[in-house]
Amino acid sequence: MRRLGLRRLGQYVLVFGVAVTLNFLLPRIMPGNPLALIAGVDVGLMTPDERAELIEQVGLNRPLIVQYFEYWKSILTGDFGFSYRSSRPISEIIAERLPWTLLITGAALVVSAVVGIIVGAFSAWRRGKKSDLTLLTGMISLESLPSFWLGMLLISIFSVQLGWLPSFGAVTPASDLTGWAQVGDVVEHAVLPTVTLTVLSIPGVYLTMRYAMLEVLGEDFIRTARAKGASERRVLFGHVARNAMAPVVTFLAIRFAFSFGGAVIIETVFSYPGLGRLIFEAVSGRDYPVMQAAFLVITIAVLVANLFADIIYPILDPRSQEE
Amino acid sequence: MTITYPDSTSDRTGGAGSVRAPLLDISNLAVRFETPDRDVWAVNGIDLEVGAGEVLALVGESGSGKSVSMLSVMGLVPTPPAVVSGSIRFDGQELSGLSKREFSAIRGGDIGMVFQDPMSSLNPVHPVGKQIAEAFRLHRDTNRKEAMKRAVDLLDRVGIPNAQRRARDYPHEFSGGMRQRAMIAMALVCDPKLLIADEPTTALDVTVQRQIVSLVEELKDELGMAVVWITHDLGVVAELADRVVVMYGGRVMETGDSTDVYAAASHPYTAGLLRSIPSLDTPTDAQLPEIPGTPAPILEQLVGCPFHARCPMTEGDCTGSLPDLEPVGGSGHASACLHVSSMGSAEDLWPMDVTELTESGSTSETVVTISDLKVHFPSRRKSRKNRHSYVRAVDGVDLEIKHGQTLGVVGESGCGKSTLGRALVGLVEPVAPAIQLRGEPLDTSRGLHRQKIQMIFQDPFSSMNPGMRVADIISEPMRIHGIGSAEDRLDTSLKLLAQVGLPDDAATRHPHEFSGGQRQRIAIARALAADPEVIVCDEPVSALDVSVQAQIINLLRETQDERGIALIFIAHDLAVVRHISDEIAVMYLGQVVERAKRDLIYDDPLHPYTKALLAAVPDPDPSGRGALAPPLVGDLPDPADPPAGCRFNTRCPVAVPGLCDVEVPQLREIESRRWVSCHLVDGPGGQVSEPQAGSEAWSSVSLSEPKQQNNEREEDE
Repeated sequence: MRRLGLRRLGQYVLVFGVAVTLNFLLPRIMPGNPLALIAGVDVGLMTPDERAELIEQVGLNRPLIVQYFEYWKSILTGDFGFSYRSSRPISEIIAERLPWTLLITGAALVVSAVVGIIVGAFSAWRRGKKSDLTLLTGMISLESLPSFWLGMLLISIFSVQLGWLPSFGAVTPASDLTGWAQVGDVVEHAVLPTVTLTVLSIPGVYLTMRYAMLEVLGEDFIRTARAKGASERRVLFGHVARNAMAPVVTFLAIRFAFSFGGAVIIETVFSYPGLGRLIFEAVSGRDYPVMQAAFLVITIAVLVANLFADIIYPILDPRSQEE
Repeated sequence: MTITYPDSTSDRTGGAGSVRAPLLDISNLAVRFETPDRDVWAVNGIDLEVGAGEVLALVGESGSGKSVSMLSVMGLVPTPPAVVSGSIRFDGQELSGLSKREFSAIRGGDIGMVFQDPMSSLNPVHPVGKQIAEAFRLHRDTNRKEAMKRAVDLLDRVGIPNAQRRARDYPHEFSGGMRQRAMIAMALVCDPKLLIADEPTTALDVTVQRQIVSLVEELKDELGMAVVWITHDLGVVAELADRVVVMYGGRVMETGDSTDVYAAASHPYTAGLLRSIPSLDTPTDAQLPEIPGTPAPILEQLVGCPFHARCPMTEGDCTGSLPDLEPVGGSGHASACLHVSSMGSAEDLWPMDVTELTESGSTSETVVTISDLKVHFPSRRKSRKNRHSYVRAVDGVDLEIKHGQTLGVVGESGCGKSTLGRALVGLVEPVAPAIQLRGEPLDTSRGLHRQKIQMIFQDPFSSMNPGMRVADIISEPMRIHGIGSAEDRLDTSLKLLAQVGLPDDAATRHPHEFSGGQRQRIAIARALAADPEVIVCDEPVSALDVSVQAQIINLLRETQDERGIALIFIAHDLAVVRHISDEIAVMYLGQVVERAKRDLIYDDPLHPYTKALLAAVPDPDPSGRGALAPPLVGDLPDPADPPAGCRFNTRCPVAVPGLCDVEVPQLREIESRRWVSCHLVDGPGGQVSEPQAGSEAWSSVSLSEPKQQNNEREEDE
């Protein structure tokens, strides 16, 4: 198991290496001046001397292989260069933005997982009955909602009409809150984006769980459980649910990585200062170095989510340990 | 109409029985499945009684209603879509109409059930012991610890070594036979009065099947429980059952004491089944008698005998009136046939085709030569000893296959017989080139030898692309190898369809419209399409209904006779290959342990493993009881780590310590065309030289599971 686990870990390292390599190559093989993409400057406005100095500074005049190793060195030391727009180190900007995204996507993931699994299990239990069909129809309609529309709807209800919750930002600016008041302020700001993300990911969890449960219900060992006298509820929660969890965990891992990117729209709608909003700002300001760093962070998030699923999977299904 | 069954406890169960009220009393049970497309009348009014401590064999093919009727007893038939009517009384209590909760109390409590496929019948995510303990806790007021102790006790009782430790293992860490033992432990954990076993050995090897039959036989005497053993194979239960009920089309065809039914079948269907099953006694020079057609689902209310379409005695009234069970002879023997009185002997009714096969196509020309074939797969299992361990699926096999002849390859699952077949058609790569076709090294590139060696697979349901039409399926090999024009290919396909006994209009239909037997005919046509010299048949009949197996075996024989094709017939069962093979190779853990002309293998087997396989073949003759050797103990060792010395020594009843577990026996040609690899076999006609001679040694050796062994011995003597 441990040996095979190392092999699996090696695969992750390999994927990470490929991602970093692509990130290194892309600005260098894309049309246009790589200087603009790497240093994040408007090349047209510079004098030839300034340009030469900058090329020397970012190392574009050195052999590609040297640049490649330099790039690796900077990635591993957390040095992503400077933002073209704000002239601050990108690592600093990301360190500032990442926690906010983690807060809302993480909270949304946990809540949607719990709700989706429970409601999905309930639906499978009542399969074919009215409550199941109502839930199924409701979830499918929910899944087809556009995220920005749902966000704006929530803002117009809870911020504009009812005035209960703030509609933008992560904290109240210049409020100097401390202790619990600060925590409350953060929570208040996180509620609407989190609810939006949650509502959007519940249907997927629900559908996966319901389908997996129905699949497992047809298995021979479910008949065995009934034959030994287990009640319907015991069959469902003692034998079906555990087996149905494995595909749900896979789905959640994919969903987590996806919501990192999906947060671009939500964070923009709520002016939430997370990674998604950063990407939006970088795209609109043509801040290439920031975009690249953000993409790398998303790649890492995808890898971590998958690694997490890989670790949980054998616990849920002991058979997969042998593979 | 009710038949009263006199107390049928035979002398064999000795003392267990006296006159008693039936434990299970089913009357006029009917089950119908209603779906939007069609209704299936699965059970059509059956009466059935099981006495306390009695063993009832419920025999039938797929769709006979045997499983459905017993699942109804357990309340495990889903309603809807099923509609169940009739009365089921168990131990004085009426079961039909019980609420779900009330049923749960009986299921797993007083009635235990064991299912067919032990691979899928245990929950993969819970340890085995926990699953058994759960069954105990559902019915007894007890705590987790005590329930676990009970589970371990039972695992020990059903013959799981190291039960304490193995109880914590997950099902996938158990072998098939062990899983079925665990299933039996689970069914018995609450001391049930009735055990329902639904084809419990069908998915297992013959050797393991013998172990399970013996185990149940032993346990039912010990616990005094009644057993309903559902099976499609009359042979399996011959030695176990007190009474037999034969079902077909949801009706009881025949019932009676097993000695009466086996010796004097009074229904044409039972007689046909008994005649058509390949056994160790049927003559080999004639065709097996066939029951024509296939069992079909009943789609409307029965008004006549469900068997009439396949019966050689059908007369006008058979379609118009539903025959009831009428007594024939004494002691509860009854038969549901309108013409039971005019039925002649089974031999006349289901005659063997005496036109002897000419074997004209057979010459002594060698088509395929296999020398030192090795196929190794990287082992997935961790091994501390060596980092790169391999499963030696086939490990040094030499064989020749002659023109127009059949080589039977036999062994338990995991012995490498299927891998051997796959290597022949190039589906797996041998370690080094080892196969020659007519003297040339086998080249599996397209258009070359792959065309000359075709294959028929075990499962006709999954080995055909469901999206293709039958004509395309059959002509695909010709298309791949570029034979003929499109018209030629269609023409050939139609000819082949006729040859395998299917109508022309089959060509435009899809595989799902055919029964298993018909699909296997399509598979034969597909294999013939490329005009091969060799066909590898990998268990071609084991997925088929028993009444259909004879048809396919006969068809293969006829085809071979006409075309002079060499066949490699792979099977786990010596009875099936006997009828078709000229020569037989017995494999164990990737090696051939004995190889000889067919009759030598069956009349004078030399290798202890061959003897064990022969002893494990179910014999549909209850009078032969007691003559059987004890079952082979244990499971096949791990092929990635075979035992030292003779690979069979760990399970061999005559192994000599210091010789068999040290020295590797060579496959020796002890007389012309007769090979065996055993230290203890001397030579021609020679028997096991040490410690005692021959079959006597086999049945009196002490095996390594003393508890089971002792009971076994008492039974035998």
